[in-house]
Amino acid sequence: MEVMMLLVYDQPGVMQRVMGEFNRKRINVETIVVGKCEIPDRARIVLSITDREKAMNVLEHIRALQEVIECDLVDQSRHEAYALLSSKEGLCRLTGSVQEVEAIVSKSQPEKYIQAMNAI
Amino acid sequence: MKGARAAVELLEKQNVEVMFGIPGGVLLPFYDELVQSDIRHILPRHEQCAGHMADGYARVSKKPGVCVATSGPGATNLVTGVATAFMDSSPMVAITGQVATHVLGNDAFQEADSFSLMMPVSKHNFRVVDPKLFPETMKKAFLIATTGRYGPVHVDIPVDIFQAEITDEQMAKEVRVPKPKRNLEGLLDAIKLLETAERPTIMVGGGVIWSRAGTEIMRLAEMVMAPVVTTLMAKGSVPENHPLVLGVCGMHGRQVANYALNNCDVLLAIGTRFSDRVTGKLSEFGAKTKVVHVDIDSSEIGKNVKGRVGLVGDAWTVVNALIAGLQKRKKSPTWKQRIIELNKECSCDYNLKLEPLKPQKVIYELSKNLPDDAIVTTEVGQNQMWAAHFYKCYGKRMFITSGGLGTMGFGFPAALGAKIARPKSVVVDIAGDGSLQMVSQEFATAVENDIPVVVALLNNGWLGMVKQWQKLFYGSRYKASQFTVPTPDFVKLAEAYGAEAIRVERPSEVAEAIQRATKSEMPFLIDFVVDPEEDVLPMTPPGKTSVDCIMGRCPWKGGVC
Ligand SMILES: Cc1ncc(C[n+]2csc(CCOP(=O)(O)OP(=O)(O)O)c2C)c(N)n1
Ligand SMILES: [Mg+2]
Repeated sequence: MEVMMLLVYDQPGVMQRVMGEFNRKRINVETIVVGKCEIPDRARIVLSITDREKAMNVLEHIRALQEVIECDLVDQSRHEAYALLSSKEGLCRLTGSVQEVEAIVSKSQPEKYIQAMNAI
Repeated sequence: MKGARAAVELLEKQNVEVMFGIPGGVLLPFYDELVQSDIRHILPRHEQCAGHMADGYARVSKKPGVCVATSGPGATNLVTGVATAFMDSSPMVAITGQVATHVLGNDAFQEADSFSLMMPVSKHNFRVVDPKLFPETMKKAFLIATTGRYGPVHVDIPVDIFQAEITDEQMAKEVRVPKPKRNLEGLLDAIKLLETAERPTIMVGGGVIWSRAGTEIMRLAEMVMAPVVTTLMAKGSVPENHPLVLGVCGMHGRQVANYALNNCDVLLAIGTRFSDRVTGKLSEFGAKTKVVHVDIDSSEIGKNVKGRVGLVGDAWTVVNALIAGLQKRKKSPTWKQRIIELNKECSCDYNLKLEPLKPQKVIYELSKNLPDDAIVTTEVGQNQMWAAHFYKCYGKRMFITSGGLGTMGFGFPAALGAKIARPKSVVVDIAGDGSLQMVSQEFATAVENDIPVVVALLNNGWLGMVKQWQKLFYGSRYKASQFTVPTPDFVKLAEAYGAEAIRVERPSEVAEAIQRATKSEMPFLIDFVVDPEEDVLPMTPPGKTSVDCIMGRCPWKGGVC
């Protein structure tokens, strides 16, 4: 799994433009997290895709977008995962290393869950 | 001041001399302010053509072309014009009106989400929703269109922005956009490759036209004794009467150009994206070749042809850096001599006197009779490929074509834009009958605004290129490629709009017709009735290599390219 982190202007249309590049290159984005960050009027997008070669290919295209300030791959050691699980026992929140979270999710076989990658 | 006034002043401050547009409800406040302005306004008869005219103007003047369309159908009509400019990296500012911000998103009358429609076909686009940001947005649009790799920028402006109050302070706000990053880390590697090359070849693309690096490229070519081949987009960037310039390469390219591409050991590719129409089957392209790829757009390096020395920067700067760095140049004149010989032999005689009239003969006479500063535009199809293959571009001649998107109907409006940018030059659209029928209403624009361009129509009664593919690859099963009689009488059609027109059916009449047309002060159509059976050959079938090239009458004797 490759995790890509972008710093972008926080305004309407930016997600559409960024996702448009992945769409055009037929890359499935596995998980995506967007949020405000330490700089006013900027946001960070953290997304993950499975294929390293595809990630490398799309990188320069994303960087060329006017509303993207930075875009880089994040090294594996900084990857984090989290998940929200719902089962008979109720809601359960997980954070931790990618392997840990994946292991718990697959072991506990929740009714519903969502899992995402993050990094900083 | 009101937003509409601000819009006009912002365009004037950008030194916009001419704009191409069709008004509509949401644009009326803006058009009302244009009454006071000195900016020339051309009213095309279809928004697509407003786009192509602005594009043709930009390709000649190297300044962003400005086109305007109203909301909804105006904007959707303009999409093809913007997309065509995008694929050929032509600078443009495309303005669309939009319904008022308070009804945006409610399916108001003539609302279309033009912001989303234009996004994937423009370099960048804006939807203005805050009048405070309107002036800086307009300034940014012009900057982005002409910074780094050129391209069209679209600005969607709701009608209430034109009516809102804009302060002097907002008007005075300065804007900046990031400069494209240069990366010349590979320069020494590139120089070493060029110095040790036995059979170097330079391939130039459209970037070289925008960067005006032709002269420097010829200097470099002579220093390293390398032949120069061009892509379709680069035709005209280097003089085609120079012995080292081999002309256009690719699917319908000259054999000697493809020979050099496929037999070189080091390829210096400048300002080209290695389109599939140039490379054929990608995996085979340059398999034995070391490639140095120069482009202003870092995302092009490694996109189609991988694992090569990449230099990021504009063609002019990088070529000058290479010239400065080259020192111990190895002289290996064998390759150069061989190529020059082959190039001489690769000049087939296309002064065909056969009847019915051959399209190649028309191009031959155009090449011979047009002045040294003529501008040729083309439509799309066989007409375009004959023009690319047989027309010789040198001196101040220019060749303008829709290479990336391949838009039928581009050439005629682009010719009008080109003529406005350079009124003293003869401008000729080499047209096909299918393409011309998509935009023939623009004769009205040409006559109304006194834009005397020549349309040299290669009238074969077919969607010729479609027919050629059906003949070669689909067992001659023709479907929807012939215009069954009666196709319009193009002479009468042009005359109905007030243009001059003549029909030519004999090889002996071609030259005189061209001379007459180029002297005319009216828009002029020559309806060349040409042989419908003629194919554009040689041709390397799509996805194939030169081994599979269909040669036709081509006299090439240089062996497999
Ligand atoms: C807008 C558009 N529609 C369809 C095509 C597909 N197409 C490519 S060439 C061609 C035929 C062009 O016919 P014509 O203009 O008569 O030129 P010819 O090939 O006969 O010289 C067609 C339909 C296109 N390139 N552009
Ligand atoms: Mg035709």
